[in-house]
Amino acid sequence: MMSTKYLSQKIYSSFIELIIILATALLIAIIFNSIRSNYIPLFGFSSAAIIKEQQAKIPTITLSEAYDLYLKNKIIFIDARDPFSFEEGHITGAINIYPDEAPLQAQSLKVKAKQGFVFATYCDGPQCPLSKETAHALTLRGISTVKVFVNGWSVWLNAGYPVSKGKK
Amino acid sequence: MKLLNFPRPFLPVFALICRLALAIIFFYAGIEKAINPIDFAVAIYNYRLLPDYAINFVAVFLPYLEIIIAISFIIGINVRGAALLSTLLFLTFAIALTINLARGLDISCGCFGATSGNINWFYLVRDFFLFCISLIVLFYDRGWRYFFD
Repeated sequence: MMSTKYLSQKIYSSFIELIIILATALLIAIIFNSIRSNYIPLFGFSSAAIIKEQQAKIPTITLSEAYDLYLKNKIIFIDARDPFSFEEGHITGAINIYPDEAPLQAQSLKVKAKQGFVFATYCDGPQCPLSKETAHALTLRGISTVKVFVNGWSVWLNAGYPVSKGKK
Repeated sequence: MKLLNFPRPFLPVFALICRLALAIIFFYAGIEKAINPIDFAVAIYNYRLLPDYAINFVAVFLPYLEIIIAISFIIGINVRGAALLSTLLFLTFAIALTINLARGLDISCGCFGATSGNINWFYLVRDFFLFCISLIVLFYDRGWRYFFD
């Protein structure tokens, strides 16, 4: 009899603890979600919008268009390769954004987008998926002026246009 | 402060190790998900199990729940409640994984943030393993007090 009472008390206290944790997590989730920059609405998920974005083809940019904008200082190149390849050589002025890092950089790029810059993501090789992934991740975050510079690194290098080495 | 009941008896020490391991796993998983609620929402959507209006809510709530569970495990407060929740969570994940593996959907797991790999049977085994660890914590954990005088 004693042990049943003890057991039921244990179960009861476990449920109380469970509710405390749920309530704390809910409170913190709501507070953090409302103060953070990449806030999402608590209810309502537009699956139609997501599907549309997933299917949307991201436009490409050719070498001559890219170079033209480069001379006018209207383009920001985004190197979607890993940091080591970036250090070994990249288009002058490019910033290194691996697909995973895109969400972290989206906010600062948005500011640049408002200033009228076009973004061109590139990696190495015609089949390389990284440039498309970074471009897709940025588009998903509301940056509309992203274009994929297919096989960008090789094409740019072969054309003899300016490249840099190092972290910057 | 004196160390008590260490390294024997075996079960409470084993439960302590399990608890701390779970804490690390939950903390990492929670942070990875919390960084990117949009991507995590898409990962949840891809599971095709929840109605649209619930997706964002889960995407916002679940990461912080995991972090709070991790903190409870580390500090050692509300451990039984946290272990109960952890057990239920792993059970839910197992059901969601099984349904989609059976459906044959090739989707991102979303286990540790949106960029974790696509679902496969190994993930289900891993989930079951973590479920068992949660049960051990639920039944055998004695808290920090048990080890320190």
